Amino acid sequence: MKHVLLLVALAACNPTLTVQSPQPPGRIARMDPVRTFWGLQRYRLELSRGVAIALTCDLDGPCEHMQVVSDDPAIAEVRPASLGVLQQGGLDGEQTSAALVVVGKAPGATRLHVRSKGKERDVVVTVVAPPEPGALTAAR
Amino acid sequence: MHQATLVGQCAETDAACSRRHPLAPLAVGARFHPDVSAEIAGTSTPSLRLESAAPDILSVEAGDLVARKAGAAAVLISTDDGSVVDFVHVWVAPVTHITLAKRDGERVSGSLGLAVGEDVTIDPALWSGAQRLSGDEDLTWTVSDDRALAVLRDGSAGRRRLKARAPGHSTITVALGDSKAILDVEVVP
Repeated sequence: MKHVLLLVALAACNPTLTVQSPQPPGRIARMDPVRTFWGLQRYRLELSRGVAIALTCDLDGPCEHMQVVSDDPAIAEVRPASLGVLQQGGLDGEQTSAALVVVGKAPGATRLHVRSKGKERDVVVTVVAPPEPGALTAAR
Repeated sequence: MHQATLVGQCAETDAACSRRHPLAPLAVGARFHPDVSAEIAGTSTPSLRLESAAPDILSVEAGDLVARKAGAAAVLISTDDGSVVDFVHVWVAPVTHITLAKRDGERVSGSLGLAVGEDVTIDPALWSGAQRLSGDEDLTWTVSDDRALAVLRDGSAGRRRLKARAPGHSTITVALGDSKAILDVEVVP
C-alpha cells in the first residue's frame, strides 16, 4: 500500500499543462490528459500540420526553470512563450506564467518532455495532415 | 494570446485598401505587408519577428507574408531570442474572380463614362466565392485603345488610375491567371 501511495504522490508532483489557445476552424489543436488508476500519466496532443497551440505549465504554481524538448522537432516543434500574465504560485504569491507553444510541422508522432524542478511530464504528440478542400465531414 | 496584432500597412482613410487586416484569407500568390505591434504589460514593444509554421503554404519574406498555396498556417510572432509572444492562424485561398471598385469602395462593372481630362482610380478586389481575399497580387492590366485612355500606376501594386485622353472607346481587362474583370470605358469630349 505504501508503494501505491508513493506512486500516486509522485504522479501528482509532476508538471501539469493547460491549453491557452483555441483550435482554429477546420483544423485540430487539442490536448487531453491520459489518466490511469495511478492518476495523470501523460498528455496526448493532436495537432494539424501548420497549426500552433499555446500551453502553460504548472508545478505548485508556474513551472520554475521550465525546459521542453521535442524528440523530433521536424514533426512537432516546441518553443518557449511569454504570456505576460501573473498567476498564483502556491502559497508564495503570484509569478509570471510559464508557457510554451507547440507547432505541428509534419504528419507523424513524437513525444515532448516537459521538465521543471527535476520533475517531468510527457506529451505524446500526433500531427495530422490538414484536410483536403471539401473533405471535411460532420464526424469530428 | 492577445498580446500582439498584425495589421496591413494602410492609410487610415483608405477605405478600399485590401491589405488592412489579414482577417480575410490571403489570395494564393499574394503578398501581405504586415505592421506588427504588441502590448505587453510592463514593457514597451520588444523587437519582434515573424515565422511561418508551414512555409510551403505561407512564407515570410523580407517581413512580408507571401501566400504560396491554399491552406492555413500559424504565423508566430516572437522576440529575437525565439520566445513566442503571440501567433495568428492565417488562411490562404485560391482566387475565383476579380471585381473592380473605385477608391471609395463603390463597385464598378460593365461600362464607365469619362470626359476628356477626367480620371478615376480603380482598385481591383480578389474573391474566393463570396469571400473577399486580402493581399497584393501582380495583376495584368491591358487596354484595347491607349489613345483614348491611359492606365497609370499610382504607387500601389494593384491600383491604377485611368486617365481619359481623347474621345473614343476602350476596354480595360484586369487578369490573374484564368480570372479576369472587364470594364468598357467611353471617353466623351
